[in-house]
Amino acid sequence: MQITRIGALSAIVLAGGLALAGCASTPSTTPTDGSSPAPTSAASGLDAIDPTLSGTITAGGSSAQVAAQNGYSAAFKSVATGFTLNYNPEGSGGGRGHFIDGSYGFAGSDAPLSADEVTKAAATYPDGALDIPVYLDGVAVAYNNKDASTLNLSASTIAKIFSGAITDWSDPAIAADNGGTALPSKKITVVTRSDSSGTMQNFTNYLAGLAGSDWTAGANLGQLPSIPGMDLQKGGAAVATEIQAVDGAIGGVDHSALGDLVAASVDGVALTNDGIANAMATGFAIKPNATPGDLSGAFDYAKIHADTTAYPIPLLSYAIIPAKFKDASTKDLVVAYLTFIASADGQKAGSTAAKSVPLPDSILEQVNATLATVK
Amino acid sequence: MTATPAAAKPGRAPRNAGGPAGLRAQHASKAGDRVFLGLSSGAAWLILVILAGVAVFLIVKAAPAIAANWSDDAGLQDTTSGFTLGYENFWQYVGPLLFGTIWASFLALLMGAPVAIGIALFISHYAPRRLSGVLGYLVDLLAAVPSVVFGLWGIVVIRPFLGPLNEFLNTYLGWIPLFGGSVAQGGSTLLAGAIVLAVMILPIITSIGREIFLQTPSLHEEAALALGATKWEMIRLAVFPYARSGIISAVLLGLGRALGETMAVAMIVSPKLIVSFELLTNDNPATIASNIANKFGGANEMQADALIATGLCLFVVSFAVNFLARAIVGRSSRPGRLRRVKSPSAKAA
Repeated sequence: MQITRIGALSAIVLAGGLALAGCASTPSTTPTDGSSPAPTSAASGLDAIDPTLSGTITAGGSSAQVAAQNGYSAAFKSVATGFTLNYNPEGSGGGRGHFIDGSYGFAGSDAPLSADEVTKAAATYPDGALDIPVYLDGVAVAYNNKDASTLNLSASTIAKIFSGAITDWSDPAIAADNGGTALPSKKITVVTRSDSSGTMQNFTNYLAGLAGSDWTAGANLGQLPSIPGMDLQKGGAAVATEIQAVDGAIGGVDHSALGDLVAASVDGVALTNDGIANAMATGFAIKPNATPGDLSGAFDYAKIHADTTAYPIPLLSYAIIPAKFKDASTKDLVVAYLTFIASADGQKAGSTAAKSVPLPDSILEQVNATLATVK
Repeated sequence: MTATPAAAKPGRAPRNAGGPAGLRAQHASKAGDRVFLGLSSGAAWLILVILAGVAVFLIVKAAPAIAANWSDDAGLQDTTSGFTLGYENFWQYVGPLLFGTIWASFLALLMGAPVAIGIALFISHYAPRRLSGVLGYLVDLLAAVPSVVFGLWGIVVIRPFLGPLNEFLNTYLGWIPLFGGSVAQGGSTLLAGAIVLAVMILPIITSIGREIFLQTPSLHEEAALALGATKWEMIRLAVFPYARSGIISAVLLGLGRALGETMAVAMIVSPKLIVSFELLTNDNPATIASNIANKFGGANEMQADALIATGLCLFVVSFAVNFLARAIVGRSSRPGRLRRVKSPSAKAA
C-alpha cells in the first residue's frame, strides 16, 4: 500500500532525525575559538569579556553555589554568546573528587581542599591547586513550628538539638533563649542530608568552634552523626521541602535554598545579608596552602560571636582550579569566567540570582591577583 | 509430542541431528550459515566476557577495602566524609546493608507478587479479549517509567498518602514490633519505599506470568472444565501446576529488580545503617544500592573501594537469587508433560 510505505519511510526519517539530534554533542572544554580575552586595565566586569570567547566548561560540586552559578553564567553568556557552563550540583565532596581526577574545569566547594586532597591533586596537577572564593552566604537554621513565629537559638542549644540531647520544643533551654516562655510540647524532628554536604561542614565547624562541650562529634563533618528519629533526605532541596512538610522539623539549609521557610536567629543575630557581610569582615582569615596565590581560609567563630552584628554561621564557597591548566583553551575559558565572577558586575549578577552576599572588595582584589598568575 | 524430522533439503543436515556432531555437519553448508553461527556465538562469548569483566572489576576494586584494617586506615576513619567511621571491619559495615537490601526486597515481593499474579491471571483467563490486550499494554507501560520518576511520585504522593495509615497502625497496632517506634512525621518510611518498589516489580512479574498462564495447554483446561470444575477450580487444577516453575522464576526476576533498585529508594526512605524491623519510623535500614548512590559522591578513595565492595556483595546476592531461580525451574518437571492432577473434589455422584 502506498500509504503504509510512505508512513514507514517517514517514520524512519523522523526517528533517524531525532536520534541524530540526540547525538549532537557539546564536547566538554573544547571551545571553537581559542582566542584569549584581553581585558584592558580600565575595562572590568561585563566590558572585559571577550565576546568571541566560546566553548563549554564542565564543572560541579557545591549545591549551595548552583543558583549563583546560574546567575554568573547567564550574565557571562549575555556577552559571550557561545559560552556554556555545565555545573553539576553533586555536592562539595564529589566536586573536589572530580577535580582531583581531572574531569572538571573547576570544582565548586564549600570547603577548601584538605591537606590530603592537596597531596592527591598534586598527582594530576603538579603545580598545585588554588582555592578561589567566589560565593558568600550563610547557613540558615530553618524550622517549622507554628507555635513559634520567631525563634532565637544559642550555639549550645543548637548543638544539643542536633546531637539529640534536646528532643522536644518545650525544653527549658529553648525557652531560656527566647525570653523564658516555654513553647507547647511538640516532637523535634531533625532533618538533614543523606549525602555529603559542604553546608554541613560549615555548620559543624561553627558548632565545634562555639559549643565544643555540647557538640562532641567534631568539626568539618560532611554529614551529621546519626541520631534516633533523624530524618535524612537526598539533596539540599529535599531537606527544605521536608522541613516545610513536617510540623516540628528543624534543619540546617543554605540561605539560597530557604525559600518560604523561616530561619531562626542564631545567638541573637538574624540571618541578613549585612550580618553575613559583617561576619566575613570580622572573622575571615586567609590560611593558604602551599601553592602560591591560594586563598583558602577559615572563620574565627569566637571573633564573629564577639561582634553582635555578625551572623554566626557564614558560608564561603570556593572555585578550585589548578595553578597550571593542562590545556590552554580550558584555561582561557575558566580564567575569563572567574575573572568576571570576581568583578562588581559578576558579584551583582550572582547575588541577585542567589540572594547571596557580594564578596568584599579586599577579597576580590586578591582573587584578581591570583587569577593573573594562573598559567 | 514427538518432533517430526524436517524434510531433508539439499545441503542441510536434519534438524534433530542435535549436539556438536550436528553442528559440525552444518559447517559443510553455505557460508551464510557459518557467518551467522560465528556472529551468534560471538555475541554469547561477548556476554560472558562482559560479565567476567564486571566481576573482575568489582573484585579488584573491592579487595583493598575488604582486606584493610578498618580501625587503622586513615581514609576509612576520615571524619569529613565519615560514613565508614567507627566500624572495625568490612563485614560490620555491610551487614546492616545486606539486611536492609533483603528486607526491603522481601517486603516489596510480599506486597507486589500476589497482586502481579492476580493481574496476570485476570488478563489471561478472566478478562474479555479486548480488555486484556489494553490491560497488558498498560501494565507493560509501567515498566517504562524511570525509577527517578517513581522516586518523585513516592515523595509527592505516597508519603503524604500513607500518613494517616502510619498513625493508625502505630497507635492501635504499635505492640507489634513491625509497627512500633516513633512514627516518621514526614513519611520517609520503609513502608513507603517498599510499596513503591512493589509497584516497580509489578510489570516484570505480570508480563512473564501472563505469557506463562496463556501457555497452559487448552486440553488440560478443557479436561478440568469437562470434569465439572468451576473456573477457579480449573485454574487451580490445570493452570497453577503447569505454571508453577515459570511463576517462581518470574517472581525471582522481580526480586532481582527490587534488590538492585537505587534511585527510588534513595529518594523516598530515610536511611541509617541499622538492623531494624520497624516499618513506620525515620530509622530505616539502608539498602546497598541506595547507600552507594548517597555516599559515592563524597567518598574518598578507600571509602569508594568500600562502597564497591558492598556492590560486590549485592552482585553475589543477585547472582545467587538467579541461580536459585534456574535451579527451581530446572528441577521441576518440564512444562508440557502431563502432571498428576488431583481429581476434582466434586466427583460425579
